[in-house]
Amino acid sequence: MSELKRIDPRGPRFGAAITSVISLIGFILSQETWLYGAPISFLLFVLFAWSVFYPASHPYGFIFKKFVRPRLGDPKELEDPRPPQFAQKVGFGFSILGMVGVLFWPVLIPVSAAFIFFAAFLNAFFNFCLGCQMYLGLRRLGLIGK
Amino acid sequence: MELNPALLSGLILLALSLAAGVWLKFSAGRGKRVSTHEIIDLSKLKVKKGKSQVKTFGKKATLLQFSTEYCGQCPGVRRQLLEFEEQTAGLLYLDVDITDRLNLAAHFSVSQTPTVFVLDPKGEIKSRISGIPRPGVIQSELKKLGAL
Repeated sequence: MSELKRIDPRGPRFGAAITSVISLIGFILSQETWLYGAPISFLLFVLFAWSVFYPASHPYGFIFKKFVRPRLGDPKELEDPRPPQFAQKVGFGFSILGMVGVLFWPVLIPVSAAFIFFAAFLNAFFNFCLGCQMYLGLRRLGLIGK
Repeated sequence: MELNPALLSGLILLALSLAAGVWLKFSAGRGKRVSTHEIIDLSKLKVKKGKSQVKTFGKKATLLQFSTEYCGQCPGVRRQLLEFEEQTAGLLYLDVDITDRLNLAAHFSVSQTPTVFVLDPKGEIKSRISGIPRPGVIQSELKKLGAL
């Protein structure tokens, strides 16, 4: 699939850093009372939906290109956008869980925030993409297509 | 200062994630001995080197890498190992794309790419490295085989 535009791997990591901060705040606030967590769950839901459906116009990408990228050197390696995009879908799934929490079962709000934080944190600070790792495993199980 | 429970749970979550990250980084890319004595069947593996299908193993050892199209780190490892192959007599480097050969991934329990198998001259799997091999790991695995 050479027609896919390869991306700077630091872009998704930068986004993950922001996501991890938002989700950690959401996790902490939602335990005070779920009402505080609700807007953050909604924010995460919107951000993930955005990156799944309209990745090109996502604000993370815009901030990265405009303010972060110019301060960094050239990337050592460009990467295939599919694993991070798949990871965004996993994140989107967890953010849906958070929305279900907002609407029906508040316990799910901190649970979804915790999972999102965990994955985003590992991605941003350890360069370990949990969602990407799941890609091969899930395909092996036949749960997702190509 | 009194720590409120919500903040405390946030700190615990942070600490757990940090520990998981350190553990993942620590365990990735290290050599693991394989004692299944499984011998790779090249006629089934159907791996190409250049244009022709590979039929024989390296005289001293073979490095077998499993990659996928969407693996970000695989091309870098491939380049590195290809270079190493050129410098090392008797070493054969092979790269198998398992993007569409998930049965292979299942058979060899490859759950992440890159995964590198170190084979002896008969093609028996001696060790495996999951994730990007750390500096020196490939060399030390080959030394164990007497191939370096």
